[in-house]
Amino acid sequence: MLRLPVIKLTAGLQNGRISVARLHTTSSKLQQELVEVFIDDKPVQVPPGTTVLQAAAKVGVEIPRFCYHERLAVAGNCRMCLVEIEKQIKPVAACAMPVMKGWRVKTNSDLTRKAREGVMEFLLVNHPLDCPICDQGGECDLQDQSMAFGSDRSRFVDINYTGKRAVEDKDIGPLIKTIMTRCIHCTRCIRFASEVAGIDDLGTTGRGNDMQVGTYVEKMFLSELSGNIIDLCPVGALTSKPYAFVARPWETRRTDSIDVLDAVGSNIVISHRTNEVLRILPRVNEEINEEWLSDKARFSCDGLKRQRLITPMIKINGNLEAVEWEDALVATARAIQNIAPNKCAGIAGKLVDAEALVALKDLVNRLGGEILATEQSFPKEGAGIDLRSNYLLNNTIAAVEEADVVLLIGTNPRYEAPLVNTRLRKGYIHGEQTIGLIGPNVDLTYDYEHLGQSADIVTQLRNGTHPFSNTLKSAKKPLIILGVDQLMRKDGAKILSETQLLAQTLGENTKAPEEWKVLNILHTRASQVAALDVGYSSTIEEVKEQQPKVLFLLGADDANIKREDFPNTCIIYIGSHGDEGASIADVILPGAAYTEKVATYVNTEGRSQQTCAAITPPGMARPDWKIIRALSEICGVRLPYDNLAEVRSRLEEIAPHLVRYGAVESANYFAQALELSKQVPGSLSSDPLEVKQETLDQFFMTDAISRASQTMAKCVQAVIKQRESNL
Amino acid sequence: MALRVSSLFNQSNNFTRFRLTRFFADSGKNIKDSDQVSTDAVLPKKLTVALVPEEVHIAQKTRQETLAVVRENEDVGTCSGVPEEHIKTRTVRIYCPAKNAMQSGTNNINYWQIDFDTRERWENPLIGWTSTGDPLSNLQVGFVSKEEAIAHCNKMGWKYYIQKPNVNNPKPRSYGINFSWNKRTRVSTK
Repeated sequence: MLRLPVIKLTAGLQNGRISVARLHTTSSKLQQELVEVFIDDKPVQVPPGTTVLQAAAKVGVEIPRFCYHERLAVAGNCRMCLVEIEKQIKPVAACAMPVMKGWRVKTNSDLTRKAREGVMEFLLVNHPLDCPICDQGGECDLQDQSMAFGSDRSRFVDINYTGKRAVEDKDIGPLIKTIMTRCIHCTRCIRFASEVAGIDDLGTTGRGNDMQVGTYVEKMFLSELSGNIIDLCPVGALTSKPYAFVARPWETRRTDSIDVLDAVGSNIVISHRTNEVLRILPRVNEEINEEWLSDKARFSCDGLKRQRLITPMIKINGNLEAVEWEDALVATARAIQNIAPNKCAGIAGKLVDAEALVALKDLVNRLGGEILATEQSFPKEGAGIDLRSNYLLNNTIAAVEEADVVLLIGTNPRYEAPLVNTRLRKGYIHGEQTIGLIGPNVDLTYDYEHLGQSADIVTQLRNGTHPFSNTLKSAKKPLIILGVDQLMRKDGAKILSETQLLAQTLGENTKAPEEWKVLNILHTRASQVAALDVGYSSTIEEVKEQQPKVLFLLGADDANIKREDFPNTCIIYIGSHGDEGASIADVILPGAAYTEKVATYVNTEGRSQQTCAAITPPGMARPDWKIIRALSEICGVRLPYDNLAEVRSRLEEIAPHLVRYGAVESANYFAQALELSKQVPGSLSSDPLEVKQETLDQFFMTDAISRASQTMAKCVQAVIKQRESNL
Repeated sequence: MALRVSSLFNQSNNFTRFRLTRFFADSGKNIKDSDQVSTDAVLPKKLTVALVPEEVHIAQKTRQETLAVVRENEDVGTCSGVPEEHIKTRTVRIYCPAKNAMQSGTNNINYWQIDFDTRERWENPLIGWTSTGDPLSNLQVGFVSKEEAIAHCNKMGWKYYIQKPNVNNPKPRSYGINFSWNKRTRVSTK
């Protein structure tokens, strides 16, 4: 189905699309030597080496394509982009042909149209006519382009001939459904697998009519990014297995939002219908996730329907029983009543938004409590959380690919932040990046130098006693990425301080521009940066020590929090899923998941973004900050905000960057942070650096939502099964 | 200016409202309206210069000014008949629609759009479809530029925020690097 644009843009946006002025990031010398070509008689100046297709895109002429993709290598095998060039006998493939000076490209001439029609005919000869039962129907490039560029009559008269190409379907895992007869051999999935995902599992076998795309041996395509080949497939050969036959694209409502299952903050589109999330797709954001999305973010949406807390609950005679909101709130207020100062504490979990964090902080503070902890503790020695540069991915995600030497310390970005890893892989392939890793020897999808597993190596690198330190010190744009999990170790503060020292040494040596920041911390939890920004500075250990009378668990499901540790505490759980936290609670107040609320999240680079409510929370569940607000009123310490705008103005009061959506608030005071961290006592322990997620099966289930997801459970099983087979 | 604003606020009587509403309800009757205005303006001169007290004269003049102001005044929201609930409490998002990840076409996204914050939807017990009490839930308006969208929101009196558009920075692509012998871009699988 071809949809015409609502408004064709002529003014406002340059060239009919938003793009930066220059196509290439070339030197000023090259800028001067622009080549002038004419696309449909429209003149355009492009740097030499630009392809015809890109030059056409620059003036807003879109040339149809199947195999070409902006973010993948040029294959040039579908021939759909054939265009006529004046004074040339044959049409040329626009996606692969660099422009020459003075070329006159005709994208709508008779020859071009005839070429497209021919290509289309060949593609359709071997493509099944199963659009009515195809999941790609309605958002299929082949459908659209056959309408726009195909022939209006068929020469396929041989309907009784049984020789129409048919290909056996492959089983490539629990996420991707294959109907290989529909494949048009654009090889996008192959190129994605080998270039971006970094696993060379897909390929072609056979030639001509017998060509097949597949894994050759019966093997599953298991990657943390596998879902993206569903998007890339221009036809219905690769479709989503959990979404099979669920909905048509025109009958779903789409809401732009933010993913919260890791700390990257990928932009997503939530497709939903009848108050149910049906699927999650990536939304292009060049600064964060480009066009990709990790499998956990994409496929764990069925976890939003399972294990949900839908009514408030109170523990009566040792059993949790469903009650009305009034009863639950009154019961909670009774527990809070006449509480001694500093006998109230809160622990925030992984998926909590900034609004709820601020509301809980305000409530606990008003009740006289000071201890507010995150599940993942941050060392207090040195500057602690007072200086933001201590805990941010300071150099931004997009700049990761520009570095020439990267040092990873105690992190496995492949599973902790798959979309940061794609940047690293991009830098490795296109920027000849050198990568060193201190930590367990894991598969990062690219070659790296394994420097060892001991924390001492950081010091050695600084002293110059380690062989890798020369590489690091001669780097023009060095980058250090420190996994935040290492800071939970006993010597966490020391590791941070050593890393800061190393970063400073490297920063002094390089001639990198001023805004290049060497020190980067990679987070794994969506709520963490916002929590640190608003001042959740305590640790779970401190909460345990304090033995509060009332403990708020705000979506905290960490296995570290046990009932035994809090024998005389009233535990109030506010969250969306019935997980670890809810099982130890005395009162459960059902909250909303990230698809059900308008909420602020700050990602690992310090960029605040907001989710949009796609659906309504199930049952009696409510957005978390509203619950806390209601509770505060009953407790007699009314919080001074009644609606989202007022909460946000409170957020702004605490930290203005929290409401500057889409912008990175960069951190500063590196030198001061370093000075403070120099005073950190103690020494590095000899324990090897460990990461929590070493293999793919550990990637899929990491939080309440993904633990509740059946699809994720199937993925884990598939990975284990694959490992047992010897392929 | 001050007079104009104060007259709008102080009077706030039905008359003003009525005229404003009429003006925006059917623009086809514009000419007729302005005719009326002019007769109104002429009448006192002809008949009642001496009879009409000064205050009434001034009041009428103010009224005329109010009427004249309306045409350039942007605040349509208050007089458009939209319930106040849907003006004061709504937040508009101004954004560039994102490309559909499932398809490669980009010719249908180069415009700005507004939509509203999501209100509660529920399953209708009769037939199981989804209902909403929100008349604006299906309203999406396209604009050529951000400024137009902002002007529209200002005119309607909606609070709005602008979502940063995605900036596309295409990298140069070359067919040759697939085969370069000394680069990591060399393609291993086909």
